Amino acid sequence: MRAPSISLPRVAAVTPIPRLTNRTRAWLACLSCITFLVMLFVAAALLGRSGLDIDFLHRKLAPSLAYPFGTDWLGRDMLTRTVLGLCRSLAIGLLAAGCSSVISIVLGIMAGTMGRRVDSVLSLLIDTVMATPHLVLLILVSFACGGGPQGIIIAVAVSHWPRLARIIRAELLQLRESEFIHLSRKLGKTPSWIALHHLLPHLLPQFMIGLILMFPHAILHAAGLTFLGFGLTPHEPSIGMLLSESMRHLSTGYWWLAILPGLSLVFTVKLFDILGNNLRTLLDPRTAQE
Amino acid sequence: MPNRFLCCLALSICTALLLSFSSASGAVTTETLMLAIKGEPEEGYDPILGWGLYGNPLFQSTLLKRDEKLQIVPSLATKYTLSQDGLQWQLTIREDAVFSDGIPLTSEDVAFTFTTAKGAGGKVDLAHLDRVEVTGPYSLTLYLNQRDTTFINRLITLGIVPKHAYSEGYGRKPIGSGPYMLTEWTEGQQMVAEANPNYFGKPPFFKKIVFLFTDEDTSYAAAKAGKVHMVVVPQSLAHQELPEMVLRAVKSVDNRGLMFPTIPNTGQKTAEGYPIGNSVTADPAIRKAVNLALNRQVLVEGILEGYGRPAFGVCDGLPWDNQENAISDNDLTGAVTLLEKAGWKDTDNDGIREKDGLKAEFTIVYPASRLVRQYLALACADMLEKVGIKAHVEGKNNFDEIRKIMHRDVIVFGWGSHDPIELYHLYSSKNAGIEYNNAGFYTNPEVDSNLERALAAGSFDESLQFWKAAQWNGATGVNTRGDAAWAWLVNLDHTYFVHKDLDIGNSQVEPHGHGWPITANIEQWKWRR
Repeated sequence: MRAPSISLPRVAAVTPIPRLTNRTRAWLACLSCITFLVMLFVAAALLGRSGLDIDFLHRKLAPSLAYPFGTDWLGRDMLTRTVLGLCRSLAIGLLAAGCSSVISIVLGIMAGTMGRRVDSVLSLLIDTVMATPHLVLLILVSFACGGGPQGIIIAVAVSHWPRLARIIRAELLQLRESEFIHLSRKLGKTPSWIALHHLLPHLLPQFMIGLILMFPHAILHAAGLTFLGFGLTPHEPSIGMLLSESMRHLSTGYWWLAILPGLSLVFTVKLFDILGNNLRTLLDPRTAQE
Repeated sequence: MPNRFLCCLALSICTALLLSFSSASGAVTTETLMLAIKGEPEEGYDPILGWGLYGNPLFQSTLLKRDEKLQIVPSLATKYTLSQDGLQWQLTIREDAVFSDGIPLTSEDVAFTFTTAKGAGGKVDLAHLDRVEVTGPYSLTLYLNQRDTTFINRLITLGIVPKHAYSEGYGRKPIGSGPYMLTEWTEGQQMVAEANPNYFGKPPFFKKIVFLFTDEDTSYAAAKAGKVHMVVVPQSLAHQELPEMVLRAVKSVDNRGLMFPTIPNTGQKTAEGYPIGNSVTADPAIRKAVNLALNRQVLVEGILEGYGRPAFGVCDGLPWDNQENAISDNDLTGAVTLLEKAGWKDTDNDGIREKDGLKAEFTIVYPASRLVRQYLALACADMLEKVGIKAHVEGKNNFDEIRKIMHRDVIVFGWGSHDPIELYHLYSSKNAGIEYNNAGFYTNPEVDSNLERALAAGSFDESLQFWKAAQWNGATGVNTRGDAAWAWLVNLDHTYFVHKDLDIGNSQVEPHGHGWPITANIEQWKWRR
């Protein structure tokens, strides 16, 4: 017995969506991240500090249209506190990561170019700092510097440089032995010409990516230090402080005091991670043309 | 590293949530009591260094003690008399008191305790004790160098230490004649106390008490899980419901207030080099305006969840309190009028008043770890803005940092004692700049005179009129009607969750220190069934 023939509906011809190249995707991702971060700072400027005013009539309100992130124990708007806190944490993180990257590049170049003895000393220093537990070092330095924003910035700056310094050193050592560098030397090019035309284009992507990937570390550690009470003054908005405060109320059902600022922090940190990885795709000479 | 940090964060949050949502198991009704009510002094359990000043010394016994109505009752001392000239305390102590190591407690131990405490220069104020003379194995005389009607309070608060076993480190392994003896102390975690078999009083019902030294959240979570029989909670958690537990809100004289520097900044510094004086708060008009502008009831309801009462003095409701300290606050019009009259006007329309080129602004400092003080500082700053006074708020990580600026800035301090000597400490010019006492360098000869007369009065009852006059005598005094040396804000109610079957008797009005003072009558605690 023959089965009845089934007439399949004709599929309409669909115009295929042009496939994005890796490079385009990376550009889009970077742009989205940067747009979000710019929007964050714009939002902070628009919201102002009025949301930080105490309002005993609107205390402990759950998230609503009027208060998307709810209100805290003193009736302060948690959205304003979160946005201002994120901006503050970002500013501290960026500054600290910037300082740290300067230390990295100076020490990395010194180790890679100033001979074996300097290299040994700096390598030992890098290993020592890397072997010290991060949080312990952060707490010690922050405490020794008197806490506050400057304490956090110094602590993060002096504890985050080794990884990037090691990368720059390794890259330099590898470059120095490259065929094209040897060739340039034999062709009579000056060391400064070689540095400008061969070393810098290879080092810059490593440095930029290292710097951007250092941001999330710095932001998280700044928040962590504040959470532990070694950072900013408690009433000033900062993500670490918001999370620290919220721990007191987690068990009492005021979930929005912890969850929403916490998620905002995770989201922002993840954005930097995405930004760094995509920038690597764009800047690295090995993948830039894929 | 960020991933690891995030994992740790997530794990901590999950643990906290699990703990908070876990169902409470019924508490074990045994002779072992689990308490999470703080009580871990940095200096250890050494009365010479101040242990027991606020609350029961537990391991040591005192010569006298206060009952739940704050009446003085005998403890170690069976007889105590003060000479006519008020300079000699003759004491007879009980003969059956024995230290937990089995050695009898004699007058030598009492003499040793008082002499050592005087020499230690700790928190125990024995400045007026001249010498101690042992007149017999169970009798002694304390000689004072001047009359002091408050001296009896030192007999109530100073726990007696053994002469034979007192040395450096005593506070870590105390031996005493109190109802309990310390058997184990893991610093920062827990302390175990067991009933002292040699205690001279009625043996306590609970043979073993475990004191947990956990932070507020952990203690609360433990109480929610039914792991402790009593937990001290901040007022903000008092409206919660915990299974098998009932809320106990105990009245206290544990207060919080703003301490003002009362002399102008002339560049003067302390011996340590810390700045003295604040030209804004040195003006009594500013201090009075602050007192008038604050809405204390809102502070009580908004920050303490209603568990407290407005404070107008350091000793509200105690026998030496002056009823006229209370004012009608939240009086913005009155505050503005006062400021205008004193010449504080907002001439540049920036919302802050000025006078002679000086802005009406100052900094309110609070210890960063104290949430109630932080909230009070923020709320006060908010309220003062309405009358044109700008208060910047700053948190300091520890009291060492506060010490450096406490003579220059406005500080949120907390006091509250059963001893009127606190009035003397806070307002006498003799104590200006000494430790935390009178950190604002307040001086008023009339107040000084009344404080001295209170100390030198013929009896405690006679001294009351002078204590009250120091606060306000109709013309001058320390309260808002007078110099407004402080702006007292609130008296806290001490809030505890207690297992529903635990009978803790009647609590006395508690002094400063939210937690440990609840143990004042711990010998009487028992299970209801």
